[in-house]
Amino acid sequence: MEIETSDMVVGAMMVALGLLGLVMASRAIDEEIFIFGLSLAGFAVVFVMGQIRRHFDRADAARARSREHV
Amino acid sequence: MSDLALAGPATAAPPIPAAVEYNEAVVQKFVIAAVFWSIVAFLVGVYIASELAWPALNFGLPWLNFGRLRPVHTSAAIFAFGGSALLGTSFHVVQRTCRARLFGGEALADFVFWGYQFFIVMAALSYVMGFSKSREYAEPEWHLDLWLTLVWVLYAAIFIGTLVKRQEPHIYVANWFYLAFILTIAVLHIGNNLGVPVSWFGAKSYSLFSGAQDALIQWWYGHNAVGFFLTAGFLGMMYYYIPKAAGRPVYSYRLSIIHFWALIFIYIWAGPHHLHWTALPDWAQTLGMAFSIMLWMPSWGGMINGLMTLSGAWDKLRTDPGLRFSVTAVGFYGMATFEGPVMSVRQVNALSHYTDWTIGHVHSGALGWVAFISFGAIYYLVPNLWRRSGLYSVRLAAWHYWISTLGIVLYITSMWVAGIMEGLMWRAYDANGFLQYSFVESVVAVHPFFVIRMLGGVLFLIGGLLMAYNLIMTVQSPSTEREAALSPIPSTPLVPVIGA
Repeated sequence: MEIETSDMVVGAMMVALGLLGLVMASRAIDEEIFIFGLSLAGFAVVFVMGQIRRHFDRADAARARSREHV
Repeated sequence: MSDLALAGPATAAPPIPAAVEYNEAVVQKFVIAAVFWSIVAFLVGVYIASELAWPALNFGLPWLNFGRLRPVHTSAAIFAFGGSALLGTSFHVVQRTCRARLFGGEALADFVFWGYQFFIVMAALSYVMGFSKSREYAEPEWHLDLWLTLVWVLYAAIFIGTLVKRQEPHIYVANWFYLAFILTIAVLHIGNNLGVPVSWFGAKSYSLFSGAQDALIQWWYGHNAVGFFLTAGFLGMMYYYIPKAAGRPVYSYRLSIIHFWALIFIYIWAGPHHLHWTALPDWAQTLGMAFSIMLWMPSWGGMINGLMTLSGAWDKLRTDPGLRFSVTAVGFYGMATFEGPVMSVRQVNALSHYTDWTIGHVHSGALGWVAFISFGAIYYLVPNLWRRSGLYSVRLAAWHYWISTLGIVLYITSMWVAGIMEGLMWRAYDANGFLQYSFVESVVAVHPFFVIRMLGGVLFLIGGLLMAYNLIMTVQSPSTEREAALSPIPSTPLVPVIGA
């Protein structure tokens, strides 16, 4: 199953944003930035996990299709 | 009707188009989000309308305070409900009319969807926590502004990229309106929110502008948020979904192009009319007023074009509640865009400004135009996107239409009366030259109209809940499966077999 370029670019961007969120939360001087930073990190993790799930769902679907054609 | 026929009769027979696998998953997500956020926006609206009628409803809790919940309501209505409807329909329209899958792949479209929802949730959370830049329709602090900028730039990249790789030679007019919405909102958002954070790790920031310049920047943004977010974007919706639902091409494609260029050129100058009788230079106020009056022409040209598209298909209004929503929306668009320029005249504004007339005007546009045109598009989209035979209940959609219309009528008429009464009471002098009424007397006088406004909001909310139930059932009910719409295949031959 081929990985789209946009999957890699968006995934890498989310990793960077998640790390940025952690840095913001760790050095926050008010609760708004603390909550935003943690939420950003959590959002990045969930988004990347969703990307991984969709990748394997697509791979499963492609395998199922190829079996039908045999 | 084919998407290729929207702009009118073709001059040459088009080649048979190759099948394109559109990204409809992201459109579906935006439609679900739009329906969800519409309920949230209406619910919070009803609550804060109740707070205005009965202030004890804030229970002394800071996060229930009107000042914190009001931006939750406006952001939920404009950016969450309206924005989700706009982003979703723009992705639907650009793919269909360009016959091209969204640029940037599934991951980028997913990021725009989830990133936009993340912005909405974070913004609402920050408002109830008491963080705000106190700029109208731009309350989120700098870190949320930067996040929205990232999401918006990527949204623009997807839309423009799809236009670039289109397989159609012509860019359909709806895409021009969506493009103006996307590009202008980007410029407005960045310009209005230029500021200096106190710390990179603190939420507080200060605007780069000050005094009258700051006020002008705010209303350059504020009025064009109305012009390009709440008007141009939804006109894109109008120019696609009304012809599709009516099965007719746009009445005058040439008029739609004139509508587009006139609207985007004139709208951008109208912002100063929000600052009549202020420290803003007199010439700038007059400029804003003059351009607002000029807006009558493109606005009404567009309205006439939208309505006349129904020529030969008016009968569909009886059977298609989605189309009824869309056409009524165009009527409200005409009404609100007539009222706006009237209110921008300096002498009228002297009476209307700071009163509830403005609130009534905004809601005739927001409920009558923005919400109704979105409902029309959503009622069209859901059966199509989920491959259903039609709506679960046309009658329920008709109930939604009438209940919501009644809600709007209650809302705007009560606010007209309240606003004009406030304006007249505030300027009334007695024989000795003293003010005739204290401010609190005007507050007491408008109380019954605040209650009527709240009841109008309740009706609109009930309509929204009916729509949500109807759409959920449309997707889930076996009665709307495509096969169910076909005549059942009889198990015995219709014509008796001879000799059997």
